Amino acid sequence: MADVPMTSEAVSPPRERGRTSSSTFVRVFRYTAVRLLALVLSVVFGVYLTILVANMGGAVDDIRRGQIREGVAMMLSMDPELRQLSRAERDALSAEFIAIAEARFGLDQPFIIRSFRFLQNALTLDLGRAEHLTSDSGSREVRQIILERLPPTLVLFATANLFLFFFSVSMALFLSRRYGTFLDRMIIALSPASSAPSWFYGLFLILFFAAMWGVLPYGGMVSAPPPAQTSAYLLDLARHMILPVSAMVLSGIFASTYSWRTFFLIYSSEDYVEMAKAKGLGARDIERHYILRPTLPTIITSFALMLISMWTGAIILETVFNWPGLGRLFFSAINLYDTPVIVGETVVYAYLLALTVFMLDFVYVLVDPRVKIGGGRGSA
Amino acid sequence: MTDRSLLRVQDLVLYFRTSAGVVQAVDKVTFGLERGEAMVILGESGCGKTSLAKAILRLLPRNVQRYDGSVFLDDMDVMRLDDDDYRRRVRWIKISMVPQAAMNSLNPVLKVGDQVAEPMITHFGVNKKDAMTQVRRMFEHVGVPLDFVKRYAFELSGGMRQRVAIAMSLVTSPDLILLDEPTSALDVLTQANIMNVLKRIKKDMDASFILITHDIATSSELADRVAVMYAGQIVEVDTAEHFFDEPLHPYSKKLMASVPRLRADQEPEFIVGQPPSLLNPPKGCRFAERCGFRFEQCSQEPPLMDVEGRQVRCWLYAEEFEKVHAREAGA
Repeated sequence: MADVPMTSEAVSPPRERGRTSSSTFVRVFRYTAVRLLALVLSVVFGVYLTILVANMGGAVDDIRRGQIREGVAMMLSMDPELRQLSRAERDALSAEFIAIAEARFGLDQPFIIRSFRFLQNALTLDLGRAEHLTSDSGSREVRQIILERLPPTLVLFATANLFLFFFSVSMALFLSRRYGTFLDRMIIALSPASSAPSWFYGLFLILFFAAMWGVLPYGGMVSAPPPAQTSAYLLDLARHMILPVSAMVLSGIFASTYSWRTFFLIYSSEDYVEMAKAKGLGARDIERHYILRPTLPTIITSFALMLISMWTGAIILETVFNWPGLGRLFFSAINLYDTPVIVGETVVYAYLLALTVFMLDFVYVLVDPRVKIGGGRGSA
Repeated sequence: MTDRSLLRVQDLVLYFRTSAGVVQAVDKVTFGLERGEAMVILGESGCGKTSLAKAILRLLPRNVQRYDGSVFLDDMDVMRLDDDDYRRRVRWIKISMVPQAAMNSLNPVLKVGDQVAEPMITHFGVNKKDAMTQVRRMFEHVGVPLDFVKRYAFELSGGMRQRVAIAMSLVTSPDLILLDEPTSALDVLTQANIMNVLKRIKKDMDASFILITHDIATSSELADRVAVMYAGQIVEVDTAEHFFDEPLHPYSKKLMASVPRLRADQEPEFIVGQPPSLLNPPKGCRFAERCGFRFEQCSQEPPLMDVEGRQVRCWLYAEEFEKVHAREAGA
């Protein structure tokens, strides 16, 4: 040690090294347990709320009862044999049919009891059978329907969102170094363009590229009939993806770049960035270690939420481009009061969201030394 | 200029653009510094001290309106270097700095040891291991426990962070170290500790210092020479002995009189009024409005005049200045 007067200031705040690892384990365990419990509760609450809303608090049951009654009445009136029965007999028969049909749909039990059974099924991912919708292969299994619609949505939204994310972050980083240049001001000026949704741009893209110039398809995922060869199929898919991806990128790129640029501008005026400059570090080192590294938690959060958002698809965009994805499925399910499909999509989304939030907590610890799991003290 | 001369700043100007107008933060600053010399730049808040440091190190904010003049380092005008040359040849090789608030000047997510090692790796291309050896040596030198190299800034006390910042400024053995109020964010005891570290470094190393501060009392311990800044200009440059004994400029006099003394009956004085706005500084002498010796000539801007080897920007010394000039002209 140097011959420096070691006074009180030399005694720095003790890092919790003296504590045994078992207490760390208890702290992490307790934190994890509490966190999981909170997430599970919010998933349960959210899914139950969805069940209530999707069933309109039970009003959908009345609609179904009406549909059953109508169907039975139609059946009875169409059948010539039954037409000969007396009115009383027909009424009795109709009541019997209605009771059977209602029992089949579970309508003989009050909604509130059934809602909890729905909840249990949803939470155990027993997604059940759709009431009206079918998968293209004819299955009524909600799981099957969702699995069939998932790949188109993922391929479209992953392409657009990943491109949008990485492009806007790197572009923003570039702009934050060129504050006030023409390009920078242009992006700011164009950022209100993002207030229009992607389908709005989609309409214009279709108008120009499909209707007027005929160079790209109007919509759909592949041509009919689909090309047999894999490479030709992929090329065809890519051709169909150009317009919807462009629509999404156009509507998102300016605002996203603008907000990241502002974010990086704020963080690049931190004292430690100036210090890094004074130290003569290269621009790349400053960017990597002094701007990106401290902001990594925010960037990762935004990336993770972007990944989850791919799960929902986009209702109108998929409709405009006739894209067989989850967004359109959701839309049809709402139209047809197909509650199992609505609830099925929601519960999967809720689980994914909860899982992401849970994992983010641990990722933060990895990327930011100031964050400590369950540490009330010592963390900034 | 002797060959001991290290730094020569000539007519350095740094103006900022703001919504209210142009702020003349550094206005034609001229001074020189020799090797191994410690110069204190004194001035109150907002007089442009920190801007001067930034102008010397070319750490400019985005709203610079005007930045010119010359900064000679070893007879090379570094203002002429382009940004990349400047970064490679000047930053931390020739000039390093200790920032005002070491709290925020250390990257929160990098280990402090790594941050101290960075300039070594960038400028000298040494490997991490050798750089860390040098870092340990520097930590020892400034009194930071060696196991702190693996810690993060938030795990250190304010005083320790400041010591780390000092270690960082020394790691590449630069010729000149700019200390921008290195102790102003610390408590008095810690301040004294840091000043002791600085004094020891000054004794051990052949580096020059520029200490920017408003703290006259502590600066007197370190200073060989003193420059006083007022409203973006240097109003007096003097040796420490002369200055602390009997400053020339009326502002310096008032400044010295405002320091409380241990063995004196007189109450510390204060300076009436406010320093002028740097947005629209007055035409003549910038201190005139608050000056007790004010006379007609003060409405014109005084030049920096040589008076027996001391420089002062005040018309009061014009006569002596003329005399010296006349003598020189006659000889």
